Amino acid sequence: MDLFDKMAGLPSRHEQIVAVGQDPFGVRMDDMRSATEAVVEGRNVVLAGTNNYLGLTFDPACIEAAQDALGRHGTGTTGSRIANGTYAEHCALEDEIADFFGFASAMVFPTGYQANLGVIAALAGPDDYILIDADCHACIYDGCLMTGATVIRFRHNNPADLEKRLQRLDSKDSNKLIIVEGLYSMFGDIAPLAEFAEIKRKYNAYLYVDEAHSVGTYGEYGRGVAEHDGVLDQVDFVVGTFSKSLGSIGGFGTSNHRKFPYLRFASRPYMFTASLSPSNVASVTTALRRLRSDPSLKERLWSNARMLYQRLGDLGLTLAAPPGPIVAVKIPNQELAVRCWNKLLEAGVYVNLAIPPGTPNSTSLLRCSASTAHTPEQIDWIAEAFAKVAKELAKAEQRAVDQRYAVSNPAE
Amino acid sequence: MQVADDLVFHKVCKMLEQFNVRNMTLTTDTDITGDLQIDSVAVLDLIMEVEDEYSISFPMNLLSEIRTVGDLVQAIHKQAGAQ
Repeated sequence: MDLFDKMAGLPSRHEQIVAVGQDPFGVRMDDMRSATEAVVEGRNVVLAGTNNYLGLTFDPACIEAAQDALGRHGTGTTGSRIANGTYAEHCALEDEIADFFGFASAMVFPTGYQANLGVIAALAGPDDYILIDADCHACIYDGCLMTGATVIRFRHNNPADLEKRLQRLDSKDSNKLIIVEGLYSMFGDIAPLAEFAEIKRKYNAYLYVDEAHSVGTYGEYGRGVAEHDGVLDQVDFVVGTFSKSLGSIGGFGTSNHRKFPYLRFASRPYMFTASLSPSNVASVTTALRRLRSDPSLKERLWSNARMLYQRLGDLGLTLAAPPGPIVAVKIPNQELAVRCWNKLLEAGVYVNLAIPPGTPNSTSLLRCSASTAHTPEQIDWIAEAFAKVAKELAKAEQRAVDQRYAVSNPAE
Repeated sequence: MQVADDLVFHKVCKMLEQFNVRNMTLTTDTDITGDLQIDSVAVLDLIMEVEDEYSISFPMNLLSEIRTVGDLVQAIHKQAGAQ
C-alpha cells in the first residue's frame, strides 16, 4: 500500500483514452499563431475550444499595455497583496471593476479559481449554510469545503428545488448563501437569475453569482447574466475571471456590501499568495476598457456563435443548450467522444473533450467556444470537420441498430 | 447496529440499482465508489435523491464519513432522527 493507491484506477482509464489516438488531456500547442490558430504536431489547427470569447489574447492594445508594464514594473511582484505586492495598478484595476459593475468595491486574485476559493472561504463559516447549484465549477465546491459550512446541493437551474431545500433547513435564522453561475461552461446554458433573486429575497439569503464565462458575453454592457436578466442590483457578490473574455489570467470578486473589504484580512487565498504580475494587470485593465468602449466585440462574438450553432445544428448534431458563446455537442458515450475528438484534430480543429466526472449527468461532450476572432472561413473549416463527426456518429448508430437486430433475431 | 434487514437499507439498494451494472449483490459492506465504480458526481446526485426520499438535509460535509452502503444507511437514520 502506498500514497498512490488511491489513484490506481486513473492510469488504465487514461490508457483507454490514449489508445484511440492523441491524448486529449495532453495536447501541446507548439506555437500560437493568433487567438484562433495554433500549431499542434507540426500542423495548423483552428482553435474552437478556448474560452477566448472576445479574442483579446492578441489584441494589439492589450499586448502593448502588458509590454509597457513589463518594462516599467518588472516581471513579477514577488509578494502578497498585504505585503509588498500591492501596486497602484492593482488598486486601479479594482476600482475599474467595481465601477464596471456599479458596486462599492472589488478585489483581484491571481486566478479565477482562487477568486472563488478566496471569496467563499472568507464569507461562510461553520454556522452558515451554503446552497450550491449541482453543476457549479470545481473551485466553488473546493471553496465550500474550506468554510466548514453546511453545504447543500440543489438541482441544476431549478429554483423550485432550491426552495424545497431551503425549507428543509432546521436552523432558519442562520446565514444562507446561495451560489450559482451565470453561464455554465460545459453545456452553455444560463441560470434563471431573476427567479433565484426572488427566492433569495423570500428567504433572506445572500446571492452569489460566478460570471466567469458570462462577463463580456452576456448583458447589454457585457457585465454578465445578472445584467442580462436585469437583476444585477439584487446580486450580493459577483465573482469572475480574467482568463476568458479578458484574455489573461486572474480573477475578481465585487460587491456592494460595505464590509466586503474585510475580506482582505479574512481570505487566505487572497493573503497567502503573490499578487498578479504587472503585465497581467495591465493587459486585463486594457481588455476591460476595450470591452467597455467597443460593443462590436460582443456583437461579433454573438454573430459567430449563432453561425457556428446553426452550422453544427444543420449537421444533425445534438447541441446541449440554446445558441450562445458555448456550443457543446452531445456524444452518446465516452469512447465515441474520444474517437470523434481525434477525428476533429486530424481535420485541423481543436475542441474541448469533456467526459464524466467533469460533466453533469455522465454526459460526454465535444465542447466548442465561439470567438470574436473567428473568421467566416474558420467557422466553415470547423463545420467541415464536424461533418466528419456527424458521419462517424451515423455509422455508430447504424452499428448499434444492427447489433440490436442481431440480438432480437438470433436465428438469422 | 444491524442494518441488513432494515427498510432504509432496502430503499438505498433500490436507489443504487441504476448504477449496479455488474449485478453485484449489495451488502452493507459494499463500497459505493470502489465496488460499484460510481463517479464522485453521481454519488452527489444519489445524495439528492436520498434527501428527497426522506425529506432530510444531507450536507456534503458528511460525505467523507460514508464509504459503504451500511455507512450511508446509518447516516440516513442519523439525519432523519436529528430532524
